[in-house]
Amino acid sequence: MVLAALCAFLPSLLAAQSPDELVAQGNQLYQQGKIAEARDAYQKVVNSGYVSGELLYNLGNAWYRTGDIPRAILCYERALRLLPADDDLRHNLQLANLMITDRIEPTPRLFIWEHWDAFKNWLSLRGLTIVTYGWFVAVIAGVAVVLLARTHALRKTVALITAGAAFIFLLFLASFFDKVGDVSRADLAIILDRVVTVKNSPDPKSSDAFVIHGGVKVQIIDRFSTWVKIRLADGKVGWMESGAGEII
Amino acid sequence: MARRWIGIVVIMLGALAAARGQGVALDASVDRNPVGVGEQFTLAFTLSNAGMGGGKDLKLPDLGKFRIMAGPNESSSVQIINGAVSSSVTYSYILQPKETGKFTIGSASIDVGGKRYASPPIALEVVQGTSQQRQRQSAAADDASVQIGDNLFLKASVDRTHVMQGEQINLVFKLYTRVSINNYAVDKNPNMTGFWGEDVETPKNISLTTETVNAKQYRVGVIKRVALFPTQSGTLEISPMEVQTTVQVQDRRSLDPFDSFFRDPFGRAVNYTVKSEPLKIKVDPLPPDPPAEFKGAVGQFAMSTTVDKRTTRTNEPVSLKVTVSGNGNIKLIESPSVELPPDFEQYSPKVAESIDRAGERVSGSKTFEYLLIPRYPGVKVIKPVTFAFFDPRKREYVRLRSPQIELNVEQGTAPAAPLIAGGNREDVRLLSQDIRFIKLADAGLSRRGEALHASGIFLVMVLLPLAGLAGAFVYTRQRQAVMLDQAGYRNRKAMKIARKGLKQAEYLLKEKGGNPAANQRLRFYGEVSRALWRYVGDKLDIPQSAFSVEGAAAELAAREADPALTDALTGILQTCDMARFAPTSLEVGAMQKTYDEARRIIVELERTLK
Repeated sequence: MVLAALCAFLPSLLAAQSPDELVAQGNQLYQQGKIAEARDAYQKVVNSGYVSGELLYNLGNAWYRTGDIPRAILCYERALRLLPADDDLRHNLQLANLMITDRIEPTPRLFIWEHWDAFKNWLSLRGLTIVTYGWFVAVIAGVAVVLLARTHALRKTVALITAGAAFIFLLFLASFFDKVGDVSRADLAIILDRVVTVKNSPDPKSSDAFVIHGGVKVQIIDRFSTWVKIRLADGKVGWMESGAGEII
Repeated sequence: MARRWIGIVVIMLGALAAARGQGVALDASVDRNPVGVGEQFTLAFTLSNAGMGGGKDLKLPDLGKFRIMAGPNESSSVQIINGAVSSSVTYSYILQPKETGKFTIGSASIDVGGKRYASPPIALEVVQGTSQQRQRQSAAADDASVQIGDNLFLKASVDRTHVMQGEQINLVFKLYTRVSINNYAVDKNPNMTGFWGEDVETPKNISLTTETVNAKQYRVGVIKRVALFPTQSGTLEISPMEVQTTVQVQDRRSLDPFDSFFRDPFGRAVNYTVKSEPLKIKVDPLPPDPPAEFKGAVGQFAMSTTVDKRTTRTNEPVSLKVTVSGNGNIKLIESPSVELPPDFEQYSPKVAESIDRAGERVSGSKTFEYLLIPRYPGVKVIKPVTFAFFDPRKREYVRLRSPQIELNVEQGTAPAAPLIAGGNREDVRLLSQDIRFIKLADAGLSRRGEALHASGIFLVMVLLPLAGLAGAFVYTRQRQAVMLDQAGYRNRKAMKIARKGLKQAEYLLKEKGGNPAANQRLRFYGEVSRALWRYVGDKLDIPQSAFSVEGAAAELAAREADPALTDALTGILQTCDMARFAPTSLEVGAMQKTYDEARRIIVELERTLK
């Protein structure tokens, strides 16, 4: 009786809550094993325009638990932009990527780029902004001291330190701009349909290029009416209907 | 000789001419009528007595209802009978009718010596099937059919026509007979799409029973017995089975003694095909929401699990047997999944089944033998094996659960193999892992698109240090400029410094109510002197080290200063020096006078040295 009343009351309860309360409610439902309800609560917060890495991670987990691996991957990928160094997130994303049908070997990259990515993803965009700003202020202060210093020795020492700081600052600045580009890029998508037949040209009668399944990450390189031209991580290129996936 | 040849030729020509004179005719004929559909027949047009020229340009009638298989074939013949010569040319076509019915083959026409001759039309009947065969067989068959009639039929029956999916149906084909059958062979097995069929063994020798149908007693033999398990729901059909029998019939018709003599005294063997009626089975789907372990087993089952040993050593295999027994669709049972601790190696199970088809229900058992190899020592727990099936009697799903199995694994002699070996292995291990738990910490929500670096405050915070730097830069530049323009600087500052020095002097003068002490008086002169020195040095851009009264005087003269002012300056400087080195004349009145003089000189100089 009480439970039934609670169940009937629950939706209205959810509707009346603030985003933070909704997230807490979702977490509680998840812990109780009511994954689908938890997922709906998280989704509601996302739909209302609020976002955070933790929320998207939890939503990804809920999708994973309810069996929708492609959507889980989409959420994890979105969360990764906010929590680039989160170990749990990387683990779950890796696991979800193992559950999908297609195993696409990415084309190998120069090792230096791997290091660059590791450096870039060590902090979130917000963190990187703050750190870069800190170095910016340090460099400015150093330059100011060099300008205002009355003794030659002081000027020389501070100039040396400032040069080092400027190098680090430029490094962070470059990674900051790279990351801004990464985070705001809207050309990566996750396939959500179960099976997608990719064509050689944007025409339903065109010959089939290859078949991909839900959960695959693709890069959109061109658009034509309702069709998008995609590139897989291994370099394969083809056209598909744009409704089959969702931009990260 | 030549005459004789000529004679023959003349006779021949004469004969031909005579032949031509007789009636030219075009006739049409078919080699058989009626014709069966698909049967070939010959249509021939015969031109007789056309003479030497023969016929030209044969025009055929419309043969749209027929297929022309061959033709025209032309053959000609000349006959001389009792001096009467007749010649004929035959054009023949082999045709095949396309459909049944009564048709008329229209007239064909031919041109003989400029005149057209037409053939009469032919009426042709096309009948179903092979007419001749039919005729030949029908007599005997009719007789056999009459004799066999109701006395021989095949009946398919099921024990139930409305079942649940996966529930067993017993299908039996029985041959009912009142005639003697020599032999039979299954011509066409029934098509049982949508079922999984298990042939129930039937004895080689059919044991006949008797049954009464419609007040007639029949001998009945079971030809085929099948246990059917529907694999899909809906209305499923079992198509008929056809059995070819050889029936012994008495040939009653013929009374011909010779015929009788050659006849088999026991009658004649006739082939006769019997066919069962199709059956319809209504299959209900299984109730919704089966348990997760349900994989299609329907019936009544029991499960048992056994392990060959409870204590083992690492790398020594243990055999886990899961036996499912009972009745139902045993063959369709899939292996129950066994959840092992992760450091076990598991191989796909060995499956053995024994099925007893003899009874009313198909029963038996299926054994899944799993080979497990523990890789690490310790007490390992194999989670209970679960198996679910649908019980059609109770109309519900039943879950079976074995007890939990504990294995004590001791350290074996062989070293524990590394668990991750090869690239493939790692993937499998990752799959066996689970996702990590959700993050319960404060989510730290922010509005979408609210990036720190894009906010106005951040812009201000970036611009502020830049502005500060710009300020510092401007300041330094200014300072540098001033330092570069030292003379101008000193010039500008001279008055200020001088005034400061004089103020100090004035202060000393007014010490102790206008009666300063001796050392203060000395300091007064020092201040006045320094102020003047400094002022003139600054104003004339002369370094302090190179300053002398004479130099200053010369410089002032060069700048066209009033000589009286120069004299006054040198005078007061001398006064100051004298007062400092010979302090006898340190009177307050003189001091006041010196102070005023110094002030006047500075003001004057300021005016002169603009």
